[in-house]
Amino acid sequence: MSWSELYLGPGNWILAVLAGAVLGMDAVSWPQVMVSRPLVSATIGGWLLGNPVAGMLVGLVLEIYALRHPPFGAAKYPDTGPAGLVAGAAYAASGGQAVGALLVSVVIGWGLGWVGTVTIHVRRRLNERIMSPAFDLAADPSLLEQRHRIAIWLDALRGGVLVAAFLVPSVLVVTLAVGTGPSDLGRYALASLVLGLAASAGAAARASAFGVRGWPLILAGAGLGLLLVFGGLT
Amino acid sequence: MRPLRSDQLAAWSRTFAVQGSWNYRTLVGTGIAYAMMPLLRRIYAGDPVQLREAVERSMRPFNGHPYLCAMAVAALGRLEQDQTDPQTIEKFRSALRGPLGTVGDRAVWGQWRPICILTGMLAFLLGAGPAWSAAVFLVLYNGGHVAIRIWAYVKGWEAGLEVGRLLRGAWLERWAGRLWPINIMLIGAVVLILAERLVREAGVSLESWALLGMGAVAALVAFRFPRQGGRAAAALLLIAPLLWLLGGLAG
Repeated sequence: MSWSELYLGPGNWILAVLAGAVLGMDAVSWPQVMVSRPLVSATIGGWLLGNPVAGMLVGLVLEIYALRHPPFGAAKYPDTGPAGLVAGAAYAASGGQAVGALLVSVVIGWGLGWVGTVTIHVRRRLNERIMSPAFDLAADPSLLEQRHRIAIWLDALRGGVLVAAFLVPSVLVVTLAVGTGPSDLGRYALASLVLGLAASAGAAARASAFGVRGWPLILAGAGLGLLLVFGGLT
Repeated sequence: MRPLRSDQLAAWSRTFAVQGSWNYRTLVGTGIAYAMMPLLRRIYAGDPVQLREAVERSMRPFNGHPYLCAMAVAALGRLEQDQTDPQTIEKFRSALRGPLGTVGDRAVWGQWRPICILTGMLAFLLGAGPAWSAAVFLVLYNGGHVAIRIWAYVKGWEAGLEVGRLLRGAWLERWAGRLWPINIMLIGAVVLILAERLVREAGVSLESWALLGMGAVAALVAFRFPRQGGRAAAALLLIAPLLWLLGGLAG
């Protein structure tokens, strides 16, 4: 693919930044309807760049990785909203065909997810300042409401800035990977991805299981998957 | 003064933003105060001193699952309306934190959300378009999400101080116990179909049965040792594009 074939103009970029703002807010601040999950955010990214199927494929891989990080208690988890959008958009912009581009997109999405986690931490520290001093806020409830809304807008800004900063570089990096075709090492690359997905699925299953006794169910599920594959339903 | 239905609706709708100002000092406390404001304004109408004291109480540190915070908002509002002694309110807040977090985490984050996500993923892998697959997930998930928020708010207002008793053995807890086998089976099915699709589309020849066996072992080992398995999964994810690009450059 040549650079001139890239489907990323200023209009797409602005739409992507606005979508990033909404997705950045959704995970924690408002309204938590889970459009920030990679299954949705990467599809939106793909759709913005003209290929929602490619976006969703990236979202599926990212989702298997994100599922093993449920936000229990003080656990850290990747911020998959803006990251999924960037990864899905990057793969879609590259044509959504090359496996090398898919692998690079997923890694970009995963890495950006953890960058997002750092920005969430910074925002929470900032919120401490915004929501103080407590005495003043209690004395003026309207001020409390105003500050609370400012904190939500800051989260939107955070998501928008992440997309604004990383979308174009990610698209360029992923497009570079398009030209690399299958090779002997490519077999190992794909095996590495598949085994990583399997390990991540195992860890995700444990996060949902009540104890260690559920392991045969993973095999039963995989057996069901095999039946669907060989039954020609996929 | 007793809050009107419109105040209750405003407070409930604000619970969607309860984590908006989450911070390490008060956790979700300031969000609870934000959501309670329509109730407090009505209850303490014409009494700014009592309103200030009630807002100050509501802003204190609190934590809980965001969806079940609707229950805390309603129950605390009910206590304010009943003129409950502030010390009792504070003790109640402390007692509520644990159960609201645990029940919500196990039922919503641990079961409901993964099941809905995996259902959406399965829909795509079985041939549905991306828009339909995302819609399956969003409609299914948010049907449960909004129902939980409504249930939590209504029960919180009705039960007041008795909310803790309500949470013990609640349907959410029972559901979590019943859903997890479905969740695990779905993970197994989805990851296998996804892997098959990725390999098929890559146009790379692989010993598929050997890969299937190694994948099964990797999944089971990660299930037994999830932390180490998760780290190995992340490492394998990083290695994959490096190997692909190196192969491409060398070839």
